[in-house]
Amino acid sequence: MLGKLAFRNMKRSARDYLVYILTMTVVTALMYAFNSLIFQNDVNQYFELEAIMEVMIGLATFFIVLIVAWLINYMVRFMLEKRSSEFGIYLLLGMKKRTVARLYMRENILLGGISFLMGLFLGVLLRQVLLAVMFSMVRMEYHLSISLNRWTILLTVLCYAGCYLLALFRCKWKFKKMNIHDLMDEKRKNEEIREKREGFKRLFLPFSILFILTFWKVFSMLTNAGEIALFLIGLVATIYLFYIGLSAWIICYVRKKGNRIYQGQNLFLLRQFASKVRTMQFTMGTLTALFTLALMGASIALMFSDYENTVLEEKFPFDIQINSVDPEDDFADEIGIIEEDTKIQKLYSYQIYTDNENQVNSWMLTHLRAWGTMYQKKDGSPDERKIEKMLEEEGVYCTYDTYMGVTAYNELRSMLGYGRVEINDGEYLVHIKPRLYEEVKEIGKALKIADASGEGRLSCVGVYGEPFSQDGHNGGDYVVVVPDQVLERMTPYYAELAADIEGEAPQGLNKKLDELTSKEKDYAGHVRPNLQGNSCCGSDNIITYAAVNMVRDNLIPEVKFMLASLIIPLFYIGLVFVCVAVTVLSVQQLSDSAKYKFRYDVLAKLGLQRAQIHQMIRKQLGAYYLCPAVLAIIISGKMILSMSKAFVIMTGVPVASASFFIKSIVLFFGIYAVYYVVTYIGFVRNVDEKEC
Amino acid sequence: MSNYIRVCDVEKYYGNKSNVTKAVDRVSFCVEKGEFVGVMGASGSGKTTLLNMLATIDRATAGHIYYADTDITELKEDELSEFRKKNLGFVFQEYNLLDTLTIEENIVLALTLQGGKKQQIQQECEQILRLLGIADIREKFPYQVSGGQKQRCACARALVNHPKLLLADEPTGALDSRSAQTLLETFTDLNRTMGATILMVTHDAFSSSYCSRILFLKDGKIFYELVRGEKTRKVFLQEILDVLSLTGGELSDAR
Repeated sequence: MLGKLAFRNMKRSARDYLVYILTMTVVTALMYAFNSLIFQNDVNQYFELEAIMEVMIGLATFFIVLIVAWLINYMVRFMLEKRSSEFGIYLLLGMKKRTVARLYMRENILLGGISFLMGLFLGVLLRQVLLAVMFSMVRMEYHLSISLNRWTILLTVLCYAGCYLLALFRCKWKFKKMNIHDLMDEKRKNEEIREKREGFKRLFLPFSILFILTFWKVFSMLTNAGEIALFLIGLVATIYLFYIGLSAWIICYVRKKGNRIYQGQNLFLLRQFASKVRTMQFTMGTLTALFTLALMGASIALMFSDYENTVLEEKFPFDIQINSVDPEDDFADEIGIIEEDTKIQKLYSYQIYTDNENQVNSWMLTHLRAWGTMYQKKDGSPDERKIEKMLEEEGVYCTYDTYMGVTAYNELRSMLGYGRVEINDGEYLVHIKPRLYEEVKEIGKALKIADASGEGRLSCVGVYGEPFSQDGHNGGDYVVVVPDQVLERMTPYYAELAADIEGEAPQGLNKKLDELTSKEKDYAGHVRPNLQGNSCCGSDNIITYAAVNMVRDNLIPEVKFMLASLIIPLFYIGLVFVCVAVTVLSVQQLSDSAKYKFRYDVLAKLGLQRAQIHQMIRKQLGAYYLCPAVLAIIISGKMILSMSKAFVIMTGVPVASASFFIKSIVLFFGIYAVYYVVTYIGFVRNVDEKEC
Repeated sequence: MSNYIRVCDVEKYYGNKSNVTKAVDRVSFCVEKGEFVGVMGASGSGKTTLLNMLATIDRATAGHIYYADTDITELKEDELSEFRKKNLGFVFQEYNLLDTLTIEENIVLALTLQGGKKQQIQQECEQILRLLGIADIREKFPYQVSGGQKQRCACARALVNHPKLLLADEPTGALDSRSAQTLLETFTDLNRTMGATILMVTHDAFSSSYCSRILFLKDGKIFYELVRGEKTRKVFLQEILDVLSLTGGELSDAR
């Protein structure tokens, strides 16, 4: 009999909490699909970086389990509260507490089990999509294979069951402490509206608005981690205080009998909203925090994926590019390997020169946006000591300026399919990374480069900004191109080899080249430039890719895989957080619709038309849905905007920095809209139910 | 015959072809302006169904209900809401106050839904609060006041728009005897001083003794009618009790 009762109750809960079940299904599906990436051997075996993906997804899963545990815990408790009087009746009928607790637990396990199975089914499909996306990202062919990986299932089950058991044990404990009267009374407790010291609480609203404004103003000026942490703690407190303040403010407004309450249904809506926010302030705060995190996660993921789609291809213009710190290196070993594995169309080895000065370096350090005023004295002039120290220690640029002859330059240009460039004896040009092109247009006015004789000056004929494999190969950020005879008075600085091959480079070529030396390797198994003297990596930040040996067709998939291991978990977190947060909102509203039904019935008796009531429901839901979202947008906005501004400056993604923010808001509201519509339909159905 | 409110041959059936329940079976009566009419009957006699049809909350299966010249059985849903807003006031056993609003705000809401200026709304609200003696609890929420006070608030809300008809469904059902008496006296007062027309459904003889006329319903039909006329309430109450003692059987059984 108990089994039957549990099943019936579960069926009823399933109808009432459809949104919850859907979300749990989606979360299970996401969990399964993403966890499967950890055990996805097809891709991982090609990359030495596989550990990154595993760690990142593992980390994401950890946060997701936390949040899903919160959701389940919230829902289990919430359903318990809603149904407390029913449980009271069971106890009155003579059931033991333990039996009731077990009944409730059984119901929840049934509910969870069903959404888990549905989620698993969906997850197997979702996994295909995810893998297809992933494979196309790393340029590999993917063959559809529907399979269940038992480790993935096991991991998903563990995450899921962990969340459930935690929540249910808490409930059991709660049951133990309850008596019949409490249970029967539980429902009534929620409805009390406590209004005390509203005038004081009201002050939280201007206070929190003020804090958020300050946050907007000061955030980009914060420099050390301590300050930022302090501000973030303040921000979390502000989010919670905001809701206390907001509801108190509305209550005070209504009490003071502001003019707006005398218009139409405003009075009802304001009161309704205030009381909902009041009873839900903590949850609303948590939801705002979740939305903020989700928005930030999505924005950062978008930044990286934009980078991947726009900048990455430009980073490796040559099929193969090899650097050697020995200026006299003839690259015999490397050429041997390349010839062995590929069909070479063109090989070109050349030298980068230096005049043992650093006027270009110091111009860069004092004029680029990325450095700001770090290397300027207070009066704006270059701070020589700081610059020298930086050039010697940090390896952003070589210690001295980098030059190249025009013949070598034109050879390389023709390999890349760019037009030839002519310069006369008394002229030079500067080749710069595409992202810095706009910033260095004026560089010619400042440089004083001696001509071949050493007495006259060269004049600048232009700045070129095509992708040119810089980042330590053809200079850090720049290379100055001079007439060949000027090189005679300079010293060879380091050697470079560029190769153009037929078709795609075979897999593992990069590795073979790396294995030629016993030098220190980086986490991806590549030879790392030592970043001292004549070795540098350029001023790229956030994503830097400096390597001695670069084989494009090997490296692009690798970098993409690395980026994917950031992008995918971030999207994953963003998606789950939004879904969880919106579910809480929806379930709250839907399960309250019984109470609302009564209120709207009263309004109908007072003469409100159905259309007007529906309009009120839309407004009420709208306010309730928008409030945490808008607050989250305002708060995350500042952080995302300053992050994306820095990202655009440092990586050269050719988009406006606000675009990531706008895109993630659009994405976010897409999901939001789906839940809003589902909730609205359910809500209206509940309210209209018996009247028809 | 007055044409203030006329109920003509109204029927209400529930169920399907094979199993029909006649909740209200060919009921006809009139209500004069300024009358205080009671409808009595045991549970299941159809009195609430009748009230709901008068209240436009439920539709009649057959028959007509006229308010002056308006036949509400012919109105569309939106017209009905409009009609309800302009012409009817409700008081129910379970008060039906909005728990998120204070006593005063519950009344103000009824006014703002009709539209109107702030000052006028405040004035009318003030008036009715005082008339019903609930001005001192206006800042309280429904859960903070007694049942009687809640019911008076419901009355105030129902009356504040000067409805053509005040419909009361077991208004004293959830009240203690003292509060019930106060409420009924309020009804009588409102009926006399404001000329409010009231239709009250109750199964309580004491409550109905305040009415000026009582319709007795049984199995969906009117089976008796009592008019108070110049009788004292005590005498009238006795008459009501006499009639009620018959409702256990057929009217003919008593003769």
